[in-house]
Amino acid sequence: MSAIKPMPPVAIEKPKAKVWNGARAIAEAVKVADVDVIAAYPIRPYTGIMNSLASMIANGEFTADIIVADSEHSQFEIVKHASAVGARVFAGSSGVGLAFAAEAIIVTALSQLPVVAAIGTRALDDPGNFGMEWSDALMFRDFGWLISWAKTVQEAADMTLVAYRVAEDRRVLLPHFIALDGAAITHVATPVVPVTKQQATEFLPPYRPPYRIDPQDGPVTKAQHIAPSLIGPEERKTIDVAQKRSKQVIAEAWKDFAKYTGREYPPFLETIGMEDAEFALIGMGAYMKDLELVASRLRSKGHKVGTVRLRYVRPFPAEELINALGGVKAAGVIEFGYSFGSPFGTGSLYHEVATSLYEADAKPTLLDFLFLGGREPTVEHFTQLAEKVIESAHKKPQKKTYWLTLRGEDI
Amino acid sequence: MTVKLVKVTPKVERYPEYEELDWVIAHGLGVDHTADITSFSQTIAQAGSIKGIETYYYMRYDDSPERNYIPMAFYTVLGKPKVPVLLHEEVEPVGELFKVIAVFSSSLLLQKTAQRALLFDGAKKDAILLVNTSITTDDVVRLVKKYNLAQDWFGKVVTISAAKIDSAIAYPMLGALARGWDRIDLDSILTALDVLGKEKKKESVKKGYEAASVKEVHVLAEETEMFKKIKREVELPEFTGEFWTPEVYYAYQKAAAEAQTYPSRIATMPRWEVLAPGLIEFGPQPGKRNLGFTTPWRWQRPIIDMNKCTDCKLCHYYCPDGAIDFAPIKVDIDYCKGCGTCEKVCPVKAIKMVPEIEYLEGLRDEEVLRRFEQREYGF
Amino acid sequence: MSSQVAFKNIKEIPPVDYYTSGRRTCAGCGPALGYRIISKAAGPNTIFIGPTGCMYVANAHQFLTSPYAVPWHHTQLGGGGAAAIGVASALRTLMLKGKRKLEDINVVVMGGDGAMADIGFSGLSMGLSYDYQRLLYIIYDNEAYMNTGVQASSTTPWGATTTFTPAGKVKPIGNTRLKKNMALVAAAHPKVKYVATATLWPPLDLMNKVHRALNAGGPTLIHVLLPCPKGWFTNPSETVDLSRLAVETGMWVLWESIEGQFKLNYRPKPRKHVREYLAPQGRFSHLKDEDMEKIDKMIEEEWKFWEESAKLGRLVVPY
Repeated sequence: MSAIKPMPPVAIEKPKAKVWNGARAIAEAVKVADVDVIAAYPIRPYTGIMNSLASMIANGEFTADIIVADSEHSQFEIVKHASAVGARVFAGSSGVGLAFAAEAIIVTALSQLPVVAAIGTRALDDPGNFGMEWSDALMFRDFGWLISWAKTVQEAADMTLVAYRVAEDRRVLLPHFIALDGAAITHVATPVVPVTKQQATEFLPPYRPPYRIDPQDGPVTKAQHIAPSLIGPEERKTIDVAQKRSKQVIAEAWKDFAKYTGREYPPFLETIGMEDAEFALIGMGAYMKDLELVASRLRSKGHKVGTVRLRYVRPFPAEELINALGGVKAAGVIEFGYSFGSPFGTGSLYHEVATSLYEADAKPTLLDFLFLGGREPTVEHFTQLAEKVIESAHKKPQKKTYWLTLRGEDI
Repeated sequence: MTVKLVKVTPKVERYPEYEELDWVIAHGLGVDHTADITSFSQTIAQAGSIKGIETYYYMRYDDSPERNYIPMAFYTVLGKPKVPVLLHEEVEPVGELFKVIAVFSSSLLLQKTAQRALLFDGAKKDAILLVNTSITTDDVVRLVKKYNLAQDWFGKVVTISAAKIDSAIAYPMLGALARGWDRIDLDSILTALDVLGKEKKKESVKKGYEAASVKEVHVLAEETEMFKKIKREVELPEFTGEFWTPEVYYAYQKAAAEAQTYPSRIATMPRWEVLAPGLIEFGPQPGKRNLGFTTPWRWQRPIIDMNKCTDCKLCHYYCPDGAIDFAPIKVDIDYCKGCGTCEKVCPVKAIKMVPEIEYLEGLRDEEVLRRFEQREYGF
Repeated sequence: MSSQVAFKNIKEIPPVDYYTSGRRTCAGCGPALGYRIISKAAGPNTIFIGPTGCMYVANAHQFLTSPYAVPWHHTQLGGGGAAAIGVASALRTLMLKGKRKLEDINVVVMGGDGAMADIGFSGLSMGLSYDYQRLLYIIYDNEAYMNTGVQASSTTPWGATTTFTPAGKVKPIGNTRLKKNMALVAAAHPKVKYVATATLWPPLDLMNKVHRALNAGGPTLIHVLLPCPKGWFTNPSETVDLSRLAVETGMWVLWESIEGQFKLNYRPKPRKHVREYLAPQGRFSHLKDEDMEKIDKMIEEEWKFWEESAKLGRLVVPY
């Protein structure tokens, strides 16, 4: 078992911040992670990551093979098999591209290959839509992929590096998505402190799978067809256990990350003002920054509002969420993912939150705010949202779900 | 690295709810008998339903797709009044389930079935053995006592030389079944054929009914060879909590290959902690053959006359299963499926295919020599 | 730096099969026999990729069993093209970066006709456009999706019965599409090093083609016709005979394209009438004499183009 012994560095290198957009920042993280094989296929808005990587490789900034695939299905097949041979890999996609790759994506998790892929989340077709929705990433939440969700360009880059460390750990060996809210991250440039090559080399051990598809590891046969009477639940259990073990690995990894870079992140939940909160706004990703502003404004008016940001949706931090929401009277889930026809017409993140809260002693009133179709919500919408949450604690709400950006009657 | 082995006694489950029902299991060689066994099972189910009995039939899904000459099995299950027919796809050969064991090729009397069990594993004590063969009922009972029975059997054996009557052997077999089993009578079968649009086959059913030989059987477990020989325990690597290395895997593989009953085979399947993450197994070392799959159910085997052999190597080259060693030319019979390619490609006709029943028991069975082209067509 | 030598004499072939005995393939399985022969020619420094199909499911299903004496990895039905690129890229990059010792390793994809001519066509085409060495795509063509129970693919010949194209009262021919020529498609990719067709006859032909392909210096393809006793409804002992008849009737043409140079390997003289090949096969048993004449005519017509290609030394598209 690879138990990483964290080495306290002599001094934390603090390189200068560069103004990079998310695509560039993630590419820079992939570069210092010593990735070997990259498979690319264009689709907005994640493509910029591959453009950056292709450029870096063409100019000799690092050594890796970047393969232009004929489709996303092939793209994910390429990295799946390269990973089985022992190469550290990177891929990515958005929207319907991910849907096209679904078969390869699912198999990657069920055969436990630690592929790391970035998802620039994007609304699914039809109609074609460059706006942001979560469903392209969240539709894969059942298969065993670890899924982290970035709030800022900085966090997206940092999550990329930590993803390799967690995915490749022998206690885990599961693929890892770095999800980010589409163009809000990929196309927006902010100052980013890069992880240096030195820091990355010390933080990230080399990729050493237990068995490689390579003649030097002998006649390994991988992923045979198997009669379920002989082996069935057993192969699924290894994935279930890997997800459960990943929580400890994730916590260790972020602790170490702070030692090398000086940037500290709470591993699973970022909570602001939750110590005494009566109302909570629960969400993920880039728009949490706006929600935090709204929460602080309401605080100054005397309302005890706090925010809870999930950094991982798989493994889902249910216990942490229950603890964070202790004492809360009402909560609103900020939702960019849909699940049409689901109980009460609620969205995907809502389901995860509600299921977690089912185990809590005290359950707050829970509302769902669906921002679908890629239309960007504003601070106005978030303020309305928060006010509805506060109201719901005093007066039983007539509705459970709200489509605040919709034109027309919200029935 | 030596692997420490421990003895494991397999857990044997019994399912009283399923044992209340009458199961018919039909064994045959894949593809060769698929259409025949489908017609057989379908007609029984139709006949049953005409009589108001809840029935269904299905192929053992594990055998899907069925493959040429590889044994496969169909199940037909008949309900009883007030006893619901439960869904049970993975019918294990344990307990007392099978009322009728229909065998379409006598080669299957000689070795294990598709489920790697004895033919009579899972049979009711009063089971009816129905065999498509031209050998006598006495010989059938003798073979069963030698190879495939390890429990009491106070039932019946029915034999019929079906291809002599109709190359679509399902129909004479149905007639013979009606002779041996009162639950499905001749009239119901004939009516069923009307319903299924197979009126032309009614003659063959009647002829099968007339020509069948029936004999009562009374065999005690102790009288059988397998009762004495059969090993019910397995030896497995000690559980260390670690996932497997090749050595540990090969030890599990050996135990599974040597398992002689269905419960002991299941007992050799590892617990999840032992599985190397990522669905990893290990192939044989180069030069060795795969211990995990041998062919004891072959229906014929090649005999090479080494005096005629010129060592041209064509039989080694053209064996689809690689069962003929290169040097010296020699058949590894554990891996031969009896396809007959070697006999065809030998330029000096040094190879002759001999039915297993002849080779092992000196018996000649007209039914195993049924011409391939006369099968009932269908996938 | 390969230790492979061309196979001139059957008595000098390597005795070891790297795809060995002990699997649930049909008695008389053509693809299994092809696989064995290919594994012999490829040798121990080989990685096999197995898209879903008979050569996946039939070689597995039971647990604790594997007939592959070299590394083997499953891939999806349409993933063969891309999977091979992933493996080849990983090997090359790891060697380049000093993470693995330098070595010649073969990457061989055993894909069925359904996998490579239909669902995996796009990925295969991508694979052929790259320059990874020692990469060989094998199409084991049994002329239908056999593992799922005999359904038509785009390499099913005109007149064959399959469960999706059964011959019936209103549709008496069965499959009415014409067989797609995948070797031709591969050869049309710019600067492909080596493309060939093969079958089980003559002996050693397939082995030598595998050897040539693996040493050609780039991605290569061999389209191998391999009879399937189950789906073709033939006697399991006739698999090799059928391969020979396919060639002798001109139904299957043996050729190579070596860096663009066309080479016709066998010219049946005289060409047997195709009914000799069709008659033993149950999947054609519904065809009338006039249908078999039609097939024979089609073969006659197509051969004009093979003759022209042979004369030119370059491929001419026969349609």
